[in-house]
Amino acid sequence: MDRLVLLLLGVLAWLGVAVIAVLVVNAWEDENQILAFLPIAAAVIVAWGIGEYVTENVFEKDGEEAVRGDA
Amino acid sequence: MAMLERAFPKQELRDPSWMRLIFADTRLAPLWALARMYLGYQWLLAGWHKMWGDERWINVPGEDGLPLAGFWTRATSFPAEGSPPIKYDWYRDFLKYMLDNEWYQWFSWVIAFGEVLAGVALIVGAFTGLAALAGATMNFNFMLAGSASTNPVLFVLAILILFGWKVAGWIGIDRWLLPALGTPWEPGRLAQTASARMHAEGARGSPP
Repeated sequence: MDRLVLLLLGVLAWLGVAVIAVLVVNAWEDENQILAFLPIAAAVIVAWGIGEYVTENVFEKDGEEAVRGDA
Repeated sequence: MAMLERAFPKQELRDPSWMRLIFADTRLAPLWALARMYLGYQWLLAGWHKMWGDERWINVPGEDGLPLAGFWTRATSFPAEGSPPIKYDWYRDFLKYMLDNEWYQWFSWVIAFGEVLAGVALIVGAFTGLAALAGATMNFNFMLAGSASTNPVLFVLAILILFGWKVAGWIGIDRWLLPALGTPWEPGRLAQTASARMHAEGARGSPP
């Protein structure tokens, strides 16, 4: 169940990036492209960090335990 | 026959190490992510103008796609002096056919949605190679229709991202999507799991 919640969190994080990108373009259009680019890049980095954390601490950890259990 | 075999031996010509470093090494993923996000932002911006902007192409009172019809009309016309915007007759005929049949009404939706989708996919790094290919195709068509603008720069960037498709989405959804889905020549985890399940069911259902 925890795995499902964390997987959902990862999916939501990337959906959030898409929403932020559309909102940023909607707010600033092409008035200041560098200013508009920063929140999009920041959102991508945060979402990637969440994905990496979930992958390393939940899914790969479970995988290692399963391998050890098999042995 | 022997000459042909000598000329075309069964061997794989490997890329040089610097090329593998640029186009397939995850250490350069941050650079690809920047390029990908810039390209995605440009497409999203272009699509946003067509979809929701003041001079939008679609969802307007009256007929949709009139700005596109205007673009096609200008592109297919012959000026009194100088050369026409389109060099290739077959492409001019193609646009003329779409214009005469009023395809701009639905094609403007395809372009607006295509630009927004390609932009979002590039920003989040999902199916990055396909999104870059879609973007390059749109740039290519705009250039064939005689519109330069930012298209040459965006086209080159899209082609570079296409070459680096394996690593361009590493800081993105492709980091998880590509290993799960795999490629047509190497099935991913999801396909392997489904295949293993089918084998197991087949073994259970087979007579002893």
